[in-house]
Amino acid sequence: MKAKTLIIGYGNADRQDDGAGWHILKKLAERMGHAVPDEPGEDIEVDSDLADLLFILQIYPELAEMISHYDRVCFIDAHTADFPEEVSWMELAPEYEKSPLTHHMSPKTVLSIAAAIYKIVPEAILVSVRGFSFQFERSLSPKTAALAEKAEKHIWEWIQQGT
Amino acid sequence: MATEKITIEPVTRIEGHAKVTIHMSDDGSVDHAYFHVNEFRGFEKFCEGRMFFEMPQITPRICGICPVSHHLASAKVGDRLMGVEPPRPASLLRELMHMGQIIQSHGMHLFELAGPDLILGFDADPATRNVVGLIAADPDLTVRAVELRKYGQDIIYQVGGRRIHPNFAVPGGVNRALTEERRDHMLEGLDHSIETTQIGIQLIKDWADANIEDIEKFAVFHTGYMGLVSPENGLELYDGDVRLVDKDGKELELFSAQNYLDVVSEHVEDWSYLKFPYYKKMGWPDGVYRVGPLGRLNAVDKIDTPLAQEEFETYRQINDGKPVYHTLYYHYARLIETLFALEKTHELLEDPDLMGKDILNKSHDFQSEAVGVIEAPRGTLFHHYQINPNGQLEKVNLIVSTGHNNWAMSKAVDSVAKTYVKGPEVQEGMLNRVEAAIRAYDPCLSCSTHAIGQMPINIDVMDSKGVVTQTLKRD
Repeated sequence: MKAKTLIIGYGNADRQDDGAGWHILKKLAERMGHAVPDEPGEDIEVDSDLADLLFILQIYPELAEMISHYDRVCFIDAHTADFPEEVSWMELAPEYEKSPLTHHMSPKTVLSIAAAIYKIVPEAILVSVRGFSFQFERSLSPKTAALAEKAEKHIWEWIQQGT
Repeated sequence: MATEKITIEPVTRIEGHAKVTIHMSDDGSVDHAYFHVNEFRGFEKFCEGRMFFEMPQITPRICGICPVSHHLASAKVGDRLMGVEPPRPASLLRELMHMGQIIQSHGMHLFELAGPDLILGFDADPATRNVVGLIAADPDLTVRAVELRKYGQDIIYQVGGRRIHPNFAVPGGVNRALTEERRDHMLEGLDHSIETTQIGIQLIKDWADANIEDIEKFAVFHTGYMGLVSPENGLELYDGDVRLVDKDGKELELFSAQNYLDVVSEHVEDWSYLKFPYYKKMGWPDGVYRVGPLGRLNAVDKIDTPLAQEEFETYRQINDGKPVYHTLYYHYARLIETLFALEKTHELLEDPDLMGKDILNKSHDFQSEAVGVIEAPRGTLFHHYQINPNGQLEKVNLIVSTGHNNWAMSKAVDSVAKTYVKGPEVQEGMLNRVEAAIRAYDPCLSCSTHAIGQMPINIDVMDSKGVVTQTLKRD
């Protein structure tokens, strides 16, 4: 049986590299023959049964309910963290992370809410690319754009593994 | 006397960038404390040169938490710049969307920001003092809380077609009428949401009864209070005149938002990027006032929906009919407002004009300057634009809700630090109370970016020479 897969790209597309998740999601949607809308929160209709796509500004608590309906979930974000990798690929387990800000809720936290409320934990990964510039722009910085391209190819392979 | 300094950066569980510095004396007591806002948005400058009708799309980018408030405030300025009154169906639809914003934001705050402190305790293990800890403590309530936020968010979606950044209100009205199917969908979730809010209100009242000692010494101070009011001085969140009352509830001003500069002035401190608004006639700092749920309920005489009015009467008994000045009662006031927003939602959904197709007034009588005002979840929000004959913005001034409360937040931090923080070894629970003083105001400091790794928390204890003597870190 095919695994049900959800890809969530998140970040602020108006703040340059913070929108890496949106840019990557857009490329994935194009591979599936669809365009990603310009605004977060809009439904993305994808005829392909490979994966459902969601673009949001930030992670929020009721996402826990949504991901509880999937077997596999991939979160895509930008990072400025002290990771050795420019493109980071992490398998996620539920864990409540005390976040500096609630609207900064992490994917692990959402998984932990899904586990606590719905008793379901999908296989989950977090793919993030290093962000270098966070100005009021919709285009990625050249360095992040190159990383986003690389990340998108990996995610596409991961999606196909679930079929 | 020599002092040492503790820095908490950023404050946990509030919506944006900030830090707190606590300056300790040699004897282990707090000398003074500040709440600093580090984020500089620059949005006002950024908007100059844009067309005024683009603003309802641009300003929601200030924030992912209350974009609807900026969206609607911008549209209201646009109405005035065009010199038009939106048709009644359009105003009702805008107000309905705004109720969705209030419900989702207030719902999020109580259960996910304040709830862990209130239900699990300020001194609970930080590892479990969070939403997951709440689920373990009260799974039914937590699920309901998630549903409440989702209900508010869904109203925004049903009315505007987008969950985050609506493209809905335009100068002169709105661009989308409501369908019966969408209206009926919103009606379905209403009773459940009201029930959840009433459970929350009972919870907060029980908590207040059990913690009255804390409430009476936790950031307790007098200020003025500001909020929009209906023509009969009832609670109003979407439109109306602005009322400012003093610490005893006596009316100081009742003014149109167009005249806000006659009433409000802004003070600047070199340790914060956020200005400090105050009541001009009383001067700085005597004229400081508070906005948001506590400010609003103190500025009104009544609430025009039955369930919220019943609670409002109980609320007003706390200080024998005078304004309630205890910071922790912000949480109670916030839930009373949530109840009002839900009842108002019901009222709006039952209004036959809501389904009207006359949603845009296309006439125009252009003006060069106008102000829009709305009660955002966190308080009164002013947008003030000046345009040239081409319709391009020449000047933009925004007084955001969090700004009005800037002095009060800093005062609350100072007060709570002096009451609860004791050295030389500062415990996590003490610092959590300091953070909770800020969280009560639910400030939104508009970080706008959320990349992983951007905001670790460091709490540095420094001696009088600036040497770090103790570091507490949260990842």
